Parts: sequence; C-alpha cells; structure tokens
Amino acid sequence: MAEMEETDFNDILDDWFIESLKTYKDLHVYQLEHPTQVIEWTSGRTVCVAGYSSSKNEILELHLPLKLFADENKGLCAERDFKVVHGGFAEGPVCCLRHVPGTRCVVTNDGLSSDLQVWTVGGDDSDVIRRTGSVKGRRSVSEGGSRIAAPLSSQLLHGARSSDVQLTQLTSGQILYTLETDSADPLSSLQFVSDTVFLAGCCNGNVYIADTRTSAAPQLSPGPAAWGGSVLWWTDASAGRVIRLSSSGQAVVSDLRDLGEAVSWAQLDVQSHRCNPDDVRVSWAPALDNCIAVSGFSGAVQIYKTSVWGTERQDVQPLFEHRGHAVSSQSDDDVFVTAHVWHPERPRTLLSAASDGSVHVWDWVDQSEL
Amino acid sequence: MTYITPMFSRRTVGRLLGAAFTSCRCFHTELVGQESSALPIVHHSSYACELPANHRFPMAKFPRLLHFLIKDQVITEKQVWVPEIASEALLSCVHTEEYLNNLMNGTINEREQRRTGFPWSEGIVTRCRYETGGTVLAAEVALQRGLACSTAGGTHHAFPSYGSGFCLLNDLAVAAKYLMGISSPKRKVLIVDLDVHQGDGTAFIFKEEPCVFTFSVHCGKNFPLRKQQSDLDISVDDGLEDKEYLSTVEAHLPWLLETFGPDLVLYDAGVDPHWEDELGRLRLTDQGLYQRDLYVMKTVVSRGVPVAAVIGGGYSRDIDKLALRHSILHRAATQVWREGGM
Repeated sequence: MAEMEETDFNDILDDWFIESLKTYKDLHVYQLEHPTQVIEWTSGRTVCVAGYSSSKNEILELHLPLKLFADENKGLCAERDFKVVHGGFAEGPVCCLRHVPGTRCVVTNDGLSSDLQVWTVGGDDSDVIRRTGSVKGRRSVSEGGSRIAAPLSSQLLHGARSSDVQLTQLTSGQILYTLETDSADPLSSLQFVSDTVFLAGCCNGNVYIADTRTSAAPQLSPGPAAWGGSVLWWTDASAGRVIRLSSSGQAVVSDLRDLGEAVSWAQLDVQSHRCNPDDVRVSWAPALDNCIAVSGFSGAVQIYKTSVWGTERQDVQPLFEHRGHAVSSQSDDDVFVTAHVWHPERPRTLLSAASDGSVHVWDWVDQSEL
Repeated sequence: MTYITPMFSRRTVGRLLGAAFTSCRCFHTELVGQESSALPIVHHSSYACELPANHRFPMAKFPRLLHFLIKDQVITEKQVWVPEIASEALLSCVHTEEYLNNLMNGTINEREQRRTGFPWSEGIVTRCRYETGGTVLAAEVALQRGLACSTAGGTHHAFPSYGSGFCLLNDLAVAAKYLMGISSPKRKVLIVDLDVHQGDGTAFIFKEEPCVFTFSVHCGKNFPLRKQQSDLDISVDDGLEDKEYLSTVEAHLPWLLETFGPDLVLYDAGVDPHWEDELGRLRLTDQGLYQRDLYVMKTVVSRGVPVAAVIGGGYSRDIDKLALRHSILHRAATQVWREGGM
C-alpha cells in the first residue's frame, strides 16, 4: 500500500513537473531541515531564513541557485542548487527577521518578548552568523511578536503594538523617536514609505502614518468596515498605494495620502480563514505595476492584478498561483506557505517557504501576455 | 559492405504500408539516400512543426541540426534518406487502437494533453508520426548498411495508451517491434537508451518481451520520478562527469552485447546528460558526449551488429547550441563509418 502511494505521489510530481515547464521560466526547490517563516534579502542573490520551533533554531543565509541569474547565458552556469553560505543558532524561535541595509547585520525577534537580537553575518572569512547585540523593546512583556523595519543602516523601527513603536539607534541603543498612540493595537506590519515616514499596520485594520522627524501626532486611518466577525488585517504599502487584506480574503486598495477612501475592493479566492498574525503575507510587486502576492491561507502563493479590481467587492481570480509547495509536500498535514518575498528587481521572481521546510524560488510566466 | 542497388524508386516505395515483413527489402522511405557509400542520415522537413509562441520544446532544433551538419560539411544532402510518415497500422504494433483514434481525431483529454506537454494539434501528431517513421527507416537502413542516424527520435516516454514528457508515440518501441518481426526466429533488438531520463515507456512496452532488451542509463532524480523497470536500469547520481559516466557505459555494454547477442541495436544518444542542459542533472561535456557516442557505436559495429541511432532529448533555450550538441552524434557516426571502412 505504501509503495502504491509512493508511486501515485511520484506520478503527481511528474505531472506537475511537465506542467511547470510551461508555467514557469525558472523554478528551483530546496529543502530545509526545519521550516522557516521568514525570508529576508541580504543581497540581490542571498536570503536569510530561520526556524520557529520553541527551542534552538538555525539561522541560515542561503545563496540562490546561480542558474537563476544566468538569464541569456543559462548555458554558462550549471549550478542549480541553493547553497548555505552562513549559519548560526538562535536560542528561541525567529518570528521576524530584517536585514539592516548597507551592513552585514540582521535583526530578529522571537515573538515572545519585544526585545530584538542583533546578528552579524559572516565576516573575516567566517561562515558563522553570530549574535553581536540586542535592542531593548519598549515593554518587556509582549503577547505578540515585534515587527521590525530598518530604513537606514544605523536605525531600527520596531514594536509589537502601536503603543510601543520606537526608533532606536542601532549602535548606541539611543531611542530617537517613539510613536504616541491612544490605543495599544497589536501590529501586523511596520514599514517605511519614505526615509522618515512610516506606516504601522495593526491587526485590527487600523493604520498609523507618522514621521520620525516630528513629534506631531500620527495620522490614524481606521480599518475598513469588515464583513462580520472579528477579522485580522495585514497591510503593505508601495509607491503611494496601500493594500489591506483581511483574514477572510477581503482586499482594499487605497491611496497613501487618502487612506480613508477605497480605490478598489476585491474578494480574493482564498481557501481558509487564517487567524494567526504571523501566517499571512500580502506584498506589492516592486518591479511590476499593480501586482500583489498573497500567501498563508493555503499551500499556494497567489498573484493578483489589482488594476482590474473595481469599486464593487467582486470575487477575483489570481493571475497566477504557485502550487509547488502543496503538490510536492509529502507530509500528511496540509502544508501552508509561511512566507514569501518578491525579488527587488526581477519582475516576476519570488521566493516562498512552507510549513514542511520547502523553499522555492520561481519566475512565473504571465499567461495573459502570451 | 555489400553494394545494394535500391530496389524501389521513390515513387513506388511511398505507397507501401507498414506491414511487418521481415524478409521484405522495402524501406519506409519517400526518398532513398543517393550517396550509397556515405553514412545514411534520416531526416524529414516535417520533423518540425509550429508550436504556440514561447513553448518550451525546442522544435527548431531538428532543421537546425541538419543545417549545421551540412554547413560544417559533416554530411552532404546526398546522404539524406527521407522517411515515410508512420502509418496507423505500423503504430498499432505498439499503441492501442483507442489511443491512436483519439490522437488522429483530436479527442485526447485535457489532463492527458497536459502530461505530454503539448497542446494537441494535427501538426504535432503529424510531426511525431514522421519522427517515428524516421526511426523505423533508420533501423531498416542500418540493417542493410550497418549504421544509420536520424536527426530526430528518442520519444521513449510514450506508453501504449498515452503520451508523456513531450512524447506522443514511442518511436524506439515501434521500430524495435517492427524490426523484430512476427515469425521465428524473431530478430533480437537491444535498445541502448543513454538519454538522461529513464526510457520508461519503452521499458514498460517490452517488459515481457524476451526478444527486446531495454537498457537505460539515467539520472535518478530526473523525470520521471515514477520509474518503470527496464531489463537493465542504471540510475546515476546528480553531477556525474565524463569519466565516471563513460566507465558506467563501458561496464555494461560489452557484456550485454555478448550475452544478449542482438541482431540490431537502437541507440538513443540523448544530449541531456550535458552539464548545460536545462533539465538534466549530470555534468557531461561536449567531449564526453562525443566519446560516449563513439564508444557505443564502435563497440556495436565492431561486433558486426547494425546500429541505428536517434538524437534523444536535449533542452536549451539556445537552439543553435543545442543543435550543435545533437550533431555530436552524427560526427561520431561519421568517424565510425570512416574507420570501419563501411
């Protein structure tokens, strides 16, 4: 029986392999020993990932397959595997990981307290990722993990709730700015939209916009009226637009300067209603107009084109769906995607990771352009 | 080599059906190669057909291969034999009636089409039939001349009732079955499949057939993951290079020839073990492929056994580079032909 199942499984993989030749320009897979829920670029060709089990976890810096970057000269490069280039150990889970731009440092948070751990990746011919510092959070006890945004090489914006967001000088630990809000909403995202202006997305849908140069009160944009029940919201901003996504799959696009108004709405085709803030990711494509990627609801990563959304809350279908993790998972439990990121320059290249430890890098074919 | 006068003019030969007459000297050819003292090359302009834009299958490699062989003066047009299209009768010696009907009528279902990697079209079916006809002709000519090469062929993932992995019809199986004959003593055919993907369709088709021996050297981690059982499977690891690869072939081919004693060898010289191949996971170089092809054909020919070679698989977005890689086979064959005084 087990042999039969293995045969069927191999057959499914073979089917998918043939199909993938048509639907992807590139696709490379890698298997981590333990799953990650973070993927963070540390250069144009390397990413950091880390485990989230309750005890000791590995932090790894992976180099993407060289073959992916060969482009026209694909023949020149045979290396098709990911390579582990640096590694280290964290004492607890890693729920958030950010690269500090212009440095070889990454900062992590374990989701248990609001303190951050600072790491140095490699250096001096070493292949070790080692702990080189820490940053204290505003409140030591926290129910949820801290979000981290790193605008400049010396400053970190971090916080677990809207009431404890602060900008800390990395080297000295000096607090340069604190966000003053009335409520202590748990955050689902923290990101800079300019050198000094940032957006704090709350799980309840509220969005704060503030400028770290001023002590003026932040702008608060309440969450969109959701359809019944308590829902969670995730937010991403890029090029003046903000998208908010609910745990029931409702998506709203707004202009950054006018968050109260909805430019367009849609009901996404998501399979389940995730209720953990760490599960879902929504992100704008950095090099494609009006495209978002959504993951965390299932074993797939979905790409949607927001330019076809209207003001009515219509059901929409994804432009592309990466089902690789679900198809190739041998685990009995339903696998779900834990993280995804877009490549900063290559328009259709993404990385995704799933709960079974798989990590994929893929460059999808836009069938609508064929 | 015996000098053979072509017994049929191109017009009459074209009308023959694919009946399995082992003693018949008719070739399945539209045009007999005019240069009788040179290596026979089997090619048809219909080996290639139109595919949807951006389709992954490197269809243009077939005409480009011939182009380079002529341009580089490896062969002349006079060496080219043009195959007939494989008839339904010929194909039915391997494929089921239902599958052939669906194929001719365009009633292959969505899922099956997806598995082949080709959206169905009349054109794709026609080109696959010509390809199969080409392999059959190469085998026929090899029996007469000792050595022949097609500029296509190696569609070893096709099963009797369905296609898979860019293969709609199993040309090697049809050729082996046809040349095996129906009356005793049947010809013994050895299929040497060195494409980087296992010849699963062929293995399945001849599993119970003692007169056909299937030998496949392939990379274990490549498609298909669901493997069949050839008579001899050698599954190699990722990254294998020239030297170890050649040793592997050298370790098995001579004793196979010795113990099985084939009357004909069909050789699938897939170039996808090459390190630049987009899908293959091995690391052969151009030189490695050349040494391999030279070794296989020399070893077989020197035992007085005829060998018909097909180009097998190769995947690259650079069609010219790929076509040149495939031409390694024909260059090696030319060398063998010359050295053997054939």
